[in-house]
Amino acid sequence: MIEVKNLIKSYGGRTVVDIDRLNIRAGETIGLVGNNGAGKTTFFRMLLDLIRPDGGEILSKDINVAKSTQWKDYTASYLDEGFLIDYLTPEEYFIFIGSLNGLSAAHVGDYLKQYEEFFNGEIINRGKYIRDFSKGNQNKVGIAAALMQKPELLVLDEPFANLDPTTQIRLKSLIKTLKNTQRLTTLISSHDLNHVTDVCDRIILLEKGKVIKDFHTDENSLKELEAYFSE
Amino acid sequence: MISIFLSHQWKSFWRSRNKAGSIVAQLVLGFFMLYFLAVAIGIGFWMANIIEKISPGVDPIVIFNGFILYYFLFDLAIRIQMQELPTLSIVPYLHLNISRKTIVNFLNVKSLFSIFNILPLFIFIPFSLLNITQSLGGIVALSYVAAILGLTMFNNFFILFIKRKSINNIAYFGVGMVLILGLAVLDYYKVISIRDFSNRIFQLLAEYPYFALVFVAAAVVVFKINSSFLRTNLYTEELSTKDDKKVSTDYPFLNTFGKVGELAALELKLILRHKRSRSSIVMGFLFLAYGLLFYKETLIVNNEFGKMLFAAVFMTGITIITYGQFMFAWQSAHFDGLLVNKIDFKNFIKAKFLLFTIGSTLITILASFYAFISYKLLLLHLVAYLYNIGFGTVLVLFFATNNYKRLDITQSASFNWQGTGATQWILGFPFLLLPILIYLPFGILNKPFWGLATIGLFGLITLLLRNYWISLIVKRFEKQRYKIAEGFRE
Repeated sequence: MIEVKNLIKSYGGRTVVDIDRLNIRAGETIGLVGNNGAGKTTFFRMLLDLIRPDGGEILSKDINVAKSTQWKDYTASYLDEGFLIDYLTPEEYFIFIGSLNGLSAAHVGDYLKQYEEFFNGEIINRGKYIRDFSKGNQNKVGIAAALMQKPELLVLDEPFANLDPTTQIRLKSLIKTLKNTQRLTTLISSHDLNHVTDVCDRIILLEKGKVIKDFHTDENSLKELEAYFSE
Repeated sequence: MISIFLSHQWKSFWRSRNKAGSIVAQLVLGFFMLYFLAVAIGIGFWMANIIEKISPGVDPIVIFNGFILYYFLFDLAIRIQMQELPTLSIVPYLHLNISRKTIVNFLNVKSLFSIFNILPLFIFIPFSLLNITQSLGGIVALSYVAAILGLTMFNNFFILFIKRKSINNIAYFGVGMVLILGLAVLDYYKVISIRDFSNRIFQLLAEYPYFALVFVAAAVVVFKINSSFLRTNLYTEELSTKDDKKVSTDYPFLNTFGKVGELAALELKLILRHKRSRSSIVMGFLFLAYGLLFYKETLIVNNEFGKMLFAAVFMTGITIITYGQFMFAWQSAHFDGLLVNKIDFKNFIKAKFLLFTIGSTLITILASFYAFISYKLLLLHLVAYLYNIGFGTVLVLFFATNNYKRLDITQSASFNWQGTGATQWILGFPFLLLPILIYLPFGILNKPFWGLATIGLFGLITLLLRNYWISLIVKRFEKQRYKIAEGFRE
């Protein structure tokens, strides 16, 4: 699904991302972990063609993401509030995102019904613009809008941060179900090792832009990661 | 305590993130202030001579008296637009062990550091001390000074109060504006005379100097009202936002344009839901009066269109200029989101063209009331309109691909230089000068209508080539988007 080759990005002489080779197969749920400055968000931005790499390339379904916009047809993402159009009401935003993906307003309404539980009655019909919501609720809007696009590839940057515990658990089960029913490929970055080891079947550990560890999760993964980070 | 607050303010200015930008802005602002100050001092000290020049033979004190209330009414009108509310800077202090009184006092003291409070002192006090002492005596002069000070303070705190009230209820602002405008209109049509009224008040003051205490008392009352209002309402949420229910809207007209229309609707919402973009649109309507200044009888009779072209292009293209100069930066907060979504850049650019065309068309239609002056003006506007939607839009969007400065649209518009760079200043020149340059040879040869026809034709041709321009801009946008996105992320 995703193939990274000799990817390099540096800012002011400091290398932020330096990945020789990385392959991600369809249907995998990948957890990207690493301390601040490890290059997780920069990698995601390059994957989404928001930053131009200094060298190397990222292929999505064998096509370079910087050369063609085909990846947009099957990729949905939410990195930060910069992805939200914050002067719209959530309904307007969902309808707009839906229209980009060929969904009518009625379709969007139907879709949102499935997520009533996820929203916990805090998002729809509140008479507020997105900018007036709390950060956690803004996150919910962004994640729901990403899921609504029925993507094959989902990219989320620290989705568990700012979410309330109930929603964290719901999000995890949602990702697991989608993986099994639609073979969804997911890339998640997180600082929460519990969540990552719980939801992901493969963990990639970054340090200063380099892949330090890359392994499939088992019952020992959490301990292994905790050992690494407490060094 | 207040001095600590002030020193924090000072630090926050010097250590702000976009220091360079704000220093430049402050320098420009400072330059204007110095200029106004110099003018004020000049008027103040040569008041007697100036009055003598304008209306010789009349007692200068009568003219001076008549001018005072006039000035302060004008002052109110300007302040209601420009004076900033000092509020947000207090948020980090509210939860600390600092009494509300101190914070309120700080806000009040801070509001005094304003050019609006200094100008009247320089304009009125020299004349009071020099001339009034001479002719009416020292006590009267002192009462004048007290009255001027009182009026200045009154205006300062009155406007702050109105503005604070209007945050929660816009009606206060409306009533204030209507009152001031109403007085101005009544005076203009000579229903009432503010000058006579002002003169009478100050003659009364000359007779009974203690009357000045009324002004001082009025200032104190407004100050007290303002302070107590602040003290009981010192919640940032009540001071800075109003909380009414927001509704989702839909523009059926734009839906007829498909995907492009959807993007245009998105941007229209952006314009209508932010103060800064809204005010750039309001400006457009205000500038409709611009023609009244430029379209002189003789120019129209002699077909001297060259001298009127500037106003015509400016008026019909104002939405393109004021909104277009910050193009793409309006969307800087969610630019990443636009890039990762399935938006065809071609549609993205087309939506901007659509909005510009709608805006310019609307203004041009509104400007057709100039036909009452002369039908020729209608022709002039049509030509300027074609130029604007044909060439102006292309120019603005092309320049926009070089604009990497983030813009925070939630900030207010007046004296806000954020997001302003060299691009904005360079943009204006070709935009406004080109039609004049095209017209120039025809003007010299005395073929005015041929000149207009050429500009119109130029506009029409560029308009017909729009698809070509769109693909050109899209190509450039695709190349520049990383740089733009990076600049907007900062």
